[in-house]
Amino acid sequence: MPQIMPHVVTENCRLCLFTDCVEHCPVQCFHADDERSYIDADACIDCGACIPVCPVQAIHEVFEPDEEREILALNAERSHALPVISKKLPPLLSAAARRVELGF
Amino acid sequence: MSVHSAETKTVRGACPQDCPDTCAFIYHVEDGKLVEVTGDPAHPMTRGGLCVKLKDFAEHHYNPDRILYPMKRAGSKGSGKYERISWDEALSTIKSKWTDIIDQYGSQAIMPHAYLGNQGTANGLTAGDAFFNRLGSTVAEKTYCESGSSTAWVMTVGPTGGLDVESLAYAKYIIVWGMNMVSTNLHAWPFVLEAKSKGAKIVVIDPFKSRTAKQADWHIAIKPGTDAALALGMMNVIIQEGLVDYDYVEKYTLGFEDLKTRAAEFPVERVSEITGIPAADIVKLAREYATTPPAAIREGVAVERSPGGGDAVRAITCLPALIGAWRHVGGGAVEMPIYEFPMSVAHVSRPDWIRPGTRVINELDLGAALTGKMKLDPPIKSVFVYNSNPVSQAPDAGELVRGLQREDLFTVCSELFITDTAKYADILLPSTMQAEQYDIMVTWGHLYIMLNQPAIPAPGECVANIDLFRRLAKTMGFNDDYWDLTDDEWLSLAYDWKSPALEGITLDILKQDGWKRLNVGMPDVRAPHAEGNFKTPSGKCEFKSSMAEGGNMVLDVWRSGYTEMQVGGYVDPVPNYIPPAEVIDSSPTKPARFPLNLLSPKPHAFLNTQYGNEASQMKRQGEQRIMINPSDAAGRSIANGAYVRVFNERGTFEAKADLTDDVGAGLVVTNVGHWPGLNRTGTAVNSTTAPRHANLGQAGVYSDNRVEVERI
Repeated sequence: MPQIMPHVVTENCRLCLFTDCVEHCPVQCFHADDERSYIDADACIDCGACIPVCPVQAIHEVFEPDEEREILALNAERSHALPVISKKLPPLLSAAARRVELGF
Repeated sequence: MSVHSAETKTVRGACPQDCPDTCAFIYHVEDGKLVEVTGDPAHPMTRGGLCVKLKDFAEHHYNPDRILYPMKRAGSKGSGKYERISWDEALSTIKSKWTDIIDQYGSQAIMPHAYLGNQGTANGLTAGDAFFNRLGSTVAEKTYCESGSSTAWVMTVGPTGGLDVESLAYAKYIIVWGMNMVSTNLHAWPFVLEAKSKGAKIVVIDPFKSRTAKQADWHIAIKPGTDAALALGMMNVIIQEGLVDYDYVEKYTLGFEDLKTRAAEFPVERVSEITGIPAADIVKLAREYATTPPAAIREGVAVERSPGGGDAVRAITCLPALIGAWRHVGGGAVEMPIYEFPMSVAHVSRPDWIRPGTRVINELDLGAALTGKMKLDPPIKSVFVYNSNPVSQAPDAGELVRGLQREDLFTVCSELFITDTAKYADILLPSTMQAEQYDIMVTWGHLYIMLNQPAIPAPGECVANIDLFRRLAKTMGFNDDYWDLTDDEWLSLAYDWKSPALEGITLDILKQDGWKRLNVGMPDVRAPHAEGNFKTPSGKCEFKSSMAEGGNMVLDVWRSGYTEMQVGGYVDPVPNYIPPAEVIDSSPTKPARFPLNLLSPKPHAFLNTQYGNEASQMKRQGEQRIMINPSDAAGRSIANGAYVRVFNERGTFEAKADLTDDVGAGLVVTNVGHWPGLNRTGTAVNSTTAPRHANLGQAGVYSDNRVEVERI
């Protein structure tokens, strides 16, 4: 049955890429490029374990899919095009400044 | 103006769900209110995360629909109309009704109905056993899940914990056989991924492309109910090609020659025809499994849910010994490690109170038992339901509802909510939820003993099951010391704390730390059957079972500790393939009227029916849907997203069609767990399932179900 309540990574991740999420994800559903990560909704099992561990609150559950079509499409498209991140990476050099800018 | 500072505290707990993961909880309480439930980051299985089912668990405790007081029926049976009464009135009504029934029909006219709505030692599956054994009721055989597998497992390797699921991290070849792990054993999946990261191959055997199958290296789509044929076909290849570990077989197994003869009846061409799996794939699977040590099998309960389910579990459980997989850390089979926990059935269930000759009725037959189809003498005049919701979970729901509608049936239900079953009760009793009660949780998927401590007081007049049965015992005039035991005294007697498995572990330590690993060896070194040491009568892995001579049986834990009055019946000493009764092509007498085979696996966001009435979880799970192959949909003019009627001669329900290649032609898949009363027609999948039993352990045959699907 299709994924109906997916989780997504938002722009808050851009220039941070803390990747604490991948340490807590039981199904390895995070994929990343050089700037940020994305969730593969086909693999995500909606447990939400990643949400509280993100230092910049970049992950949330999509409760109203119709209202967040763009972010869903972006996560789906990019996650399918990029490799899985299965181990925590060092944050980007810009992460500390970006975190301050985001107010966390 | 005063500045309010919230008083916050955390309390250690454990998950109550009927799930192998039994997660370690941390309850977060602010000003006396449960605000959040999180996973313990230090627990090696829980690892800080829970699952989608538990997302709103704190809020669930405050669901406004909870039953907070005893109530009596104030409308017709099934109307769901109730009015509040006192505990005194509830108990005196029960006493008066039961006394009359016992006087007129005898105590066996009363039957309990329980399952694993809560997994506690004191409040779970067996919470009412001692009371009902003392009362002299009919013994209820509780075989909704695992009984077929556990009989099969014990017949083959004995009551052993088998392979630790955490040891999967050390395997090089993992077969997940009939289990959607990422939905139903999520906290074991990281060990599978760890193995994969070290090069292991992950194979999933499942009739449809489940969430787990999509994550596998190789998904093998098998026809439902044909798993024994595949296992025997693999053995055929392994034996023919000399891939047997003859040294292990000679030292630690019994009946190899008989198994060899049986396997010879299953050449790959025949197995391919039975299972629908290409012959080359069967050969490849057998070769890879036998030559990639350590090889592990994660056995799913789904395998048992077909007429030959018991022998399928036996055949699969024979495989590791045949290739010597048990020699290695990470090799062997995971089924249910519950046998490592030294729980005392004698104390928990008090089978010594069962009167000689007491009859047994299987819970899956409750409908027929209540409607008179079983021609019982005495008839069932009262049923007491707790920890279970048979109108949703039992097969042939229509028959059961007809039984529960009987005006002369006195039904009592201890519940959290007015479920589809509870709405037929004459008396409703309010039950506590997990954060409000105290218990050692029974664990069937890992090797940690877990304590759940109450974090908040019970609301209204809710009581834990252990207290409920103390009250009932006093009401019925039982004056045994047993009913005066405190919770701690009772739990102290429920486990053998002096056993090696619990050495160094006490209730006080558990109160402090919440959980402890049993002393059974760590996952990176544990290889329980490297040198045999099976718990069977012969001490060997029994390809030819010595227990078969006793006939079909259900283990005592599923039947209130009772060992008499077993269903019996012939059991082949060597596992065989017993075909399904209803699936496609297997029943020429029942041709095309119901051409589709319906499977009903567990939901993703509910735990069976639990949380199926919680708004956020209903939104996550979505409405009742059915997966259908586009080719089957096209012939029926069914469009994607259209509502369809699913039916057979037993019943009907409606669902929204998902057209997908994740199911092959001829197969349809929906999930169990949606509350029938919240569905479009007041029914759900178990309106269509058959009230028959698998060949072992009286398991249900939920997967052996033919239906037709039509556009509405």
